[in-house]
Amino acid sequence: MIQTENTLFTIAVIGYFILTALNFAFVILKKEPLAKAAFRLQAGIFILHTAALVLRGIGTGHWPMTNQYEFSTSFAWALCLVSLIFIRKYRFPVLGAFSSPLILLMIGYAAMQNREVRELMPSLRSSWLAFHVSTAIIAYGAFGVTCVISLIFLFRGRMKEEGFWGQHIPDTEKLDMISYRSACLGMLFLTLTILTGAIWAEQAWGSYWSWDPKETWSLVTWIIYAVYLHLRIRRGWKGKGAAWFAVIGFVCVIFTYIGVNTFLPGVHSYA
Amino acid sequence: MKKIGKFLSSMPFAIILLVLLAAACALSSTVSQGQTYEYYAAQYGERMAGLILALRLDDAFHSWWFIGLSTVLCINLFCCNLIRLPALMKRAEAFAKPDGMTTGITAEAAGDGDPHRLFAALHMPKAKEDGDGRIFAAGNKAGFWGAWICHLGILLLILGFALGQMTMKQYTVYALPGQTKEMGDSGLSVTVEDLRISRDENGAILQYTAMLTVSDSVKNTVESGRAAVNAPANLYGYKFFQNSIGWGADVRVLKNGEELQKEQLCVGEFFAVADKPELVICFPAFYPDYSAEIKTNDPAAEVKDPAYIYQVYYQGQILGMNALKAGEELTIDEYTVLFERPRNYTLLAVKRDSFTWLVLLGGLITLAGLVLAFWLQPSAVCAVREGSGWHVYGRCRKGGVLFRDEFLKAAAEAGFTPCENRTTAGGDT
Repeated sequence: MIQTENTLFTIAVIGYFILTALNFAFVILKKEPLAKAAFRLQAGIFILHTAALVLRGIGTGHWPMTNQYEFSTSFAWALCLVSLIFIRKYRFPVLGAFSSPLILLMIGYAAMQNREVRELMPSLRSSWLAFHVSTAIIAYGAFGVTCVISLIFLFRGRMKEEGFWGQHIPDTEKLDMISYRSACLGMLFLTLTILTGAIWAEQAWGSYWSWDPKETWSLVTWIIYAVYLHLRIRRGWKGKGAAWFAVIGFVCVIFTYIGVNTFLPGVHSYA
Repeated sequence: MKKIGKFLSSMPFAIILLVLLAAACALSSTVSQGQTYEYYAAQYGERMAGLILALRLDDAFHSWWFIGLSTVLCINLFCCNLIRLPALMKRAEAFAKPDGMTTGITAEAAGDGDPHRLFAALHMPKAKEDGDGRIFAAGNKAGFWGAWICHLGILLLILGFALGQMTMKQYTVYALPGQTKEMGDSGLSVTVEDLRISRDENGAILQYTAMLTVSDSVKNTVESGRAAVNAPANLYGYKFFQNSIGWGADVRVLKNGEELQKEQLCVGEFFAVADKPELVICFPAFYPDYSAEIKTNDPAAEVKDPAYIYQVYYQGQILGMNALKAGEELTIDEYTVLFERPRNYTLLAVKRDSFTWLVLLGGLITLAGLVLAFWLQPSAVCAVREGSGWHVYGRCRKGGVLFRDEFLKAAAEAGFTPCENRTTAGGDT
């Protein structure tokens, strides 16, 4: 089972690499069929990646999100899922071109991690694990897409209305709204992550909040996105200011995920 | 006074507070909490250590400035919710009436189309015709209350957390199976009847379960239960959490060959010899397999070649420190000390927090508020007779440009032509 998962994972890594190359080709050659092919390829890799995660779950006997490898591959999976949904819902193929390098980076990070299957410590043997970590990866995926859309927003002002970019990238008003929707999704799931984590911590350690670095940085991330949501409706900050905050928010997400584990060990050190 | 109230409840003030709070949390997470001056001096230098202690960064989340910042945020949220309530009620009421379709129109179209098709395409099947010949429908009205409910939830959550911190009773109890320990000032004593460690076929630990008996010596009552990881015991209104395990052993002291004293010690504990209190025996560490290449004091490891590390103090001065293997004895003048029966002790976290429910309620209300605010975009559509045809208006409180696209697409499908020059994009936000 784990052997098949390894093979599928490797195929997915190669697939994401080809996807990024195809998206680059679309941006450089400006040929619409390349974007359609990229979307189909992304959907195909997503299915393979899902199968790899399912096999990992069956092989390890637990939800496959308990160590750095499992979480980072799930993070890449969530980025792929959310970007697919937003490309389709808002007919926005260029989003794929900007999000695929981020997915590739994340799956590349996963590929560098130790893939060994380890037994779970008793505190991780809880049904809350599935809720807590699944909501976290969806939140992170949504924030990743928000960051990508906000970056497109920041570059959109420099692009001409006519021509290829004008046709393929929505205007700033619409980009702001799509980015807001994605941030809302992330915020909702991050709130769920913090809530389920608190309930679980109360059960396992008797303290729903202990200012552990991971908890603290999740709160910092939550606050940054709360500021983003408020800034969006302020004159003077609406638009670019809010978009920069969405980018800073994703930097916080990455720090919460990788930075905290590396520099600020706590009760989440296994994650 | 009015100005102060307005500022305290304003959004710019809230944004400043949130940024300050995020910065405070981020900074505090980089400083190891609850350490001594010596620790900080060794880590960051003496000047920084002094600054850390002066700014209370050593216990940042309980410091006056952090509590102050959180309190001001609560005041801001409270004032904001209180001041906004009447206006919000009015706005929500007006939004649900066709007369309210006078401002903030997001999109409009006109023509000989079928307004009922437009309402159906926009998922508004409950459109009604009023006496003035207008057809009107408003949807997702609950979305108006999202932010307000979310703020209320955060307020309750912070309130529950603060009350919990002020009134919470917390104890830590560690004991070997068979041992009874007093539970601080609670008047209760805890007996660990048994500690079970279940493993799978590969030896991996699945669960730690402590069988407990708690007795109240005043009321002369007893309650029993089991505390396992992720499944605390609830006894006398306290929750007992199986937190971790460690090593312990029996220690016997013989005097001239006769048993003088028998103690049960957990690693880190000490005792004074019964008839010579200036002689103290400490048990700082235990190694379950001392002959292993990599020596570990892992409490879950199998006992193969046990070694007990001891320290002997006489009148506060250390006399000696060494390792005793199974069967070895320590002799001090006429006294012989024996370490036996290595086994695990359990460390229990005991807690009574009467406001956890309020925190949970606050969290759930916050979540509900977010769902309402993000999911439900209040929108209203009105069709007004214009000559032989209709003029249709769409209004969305948050959807803005996305609602405009959806409205114009549905209007076109229903046979209307967008009124390009009269359309006001954006709507309210």
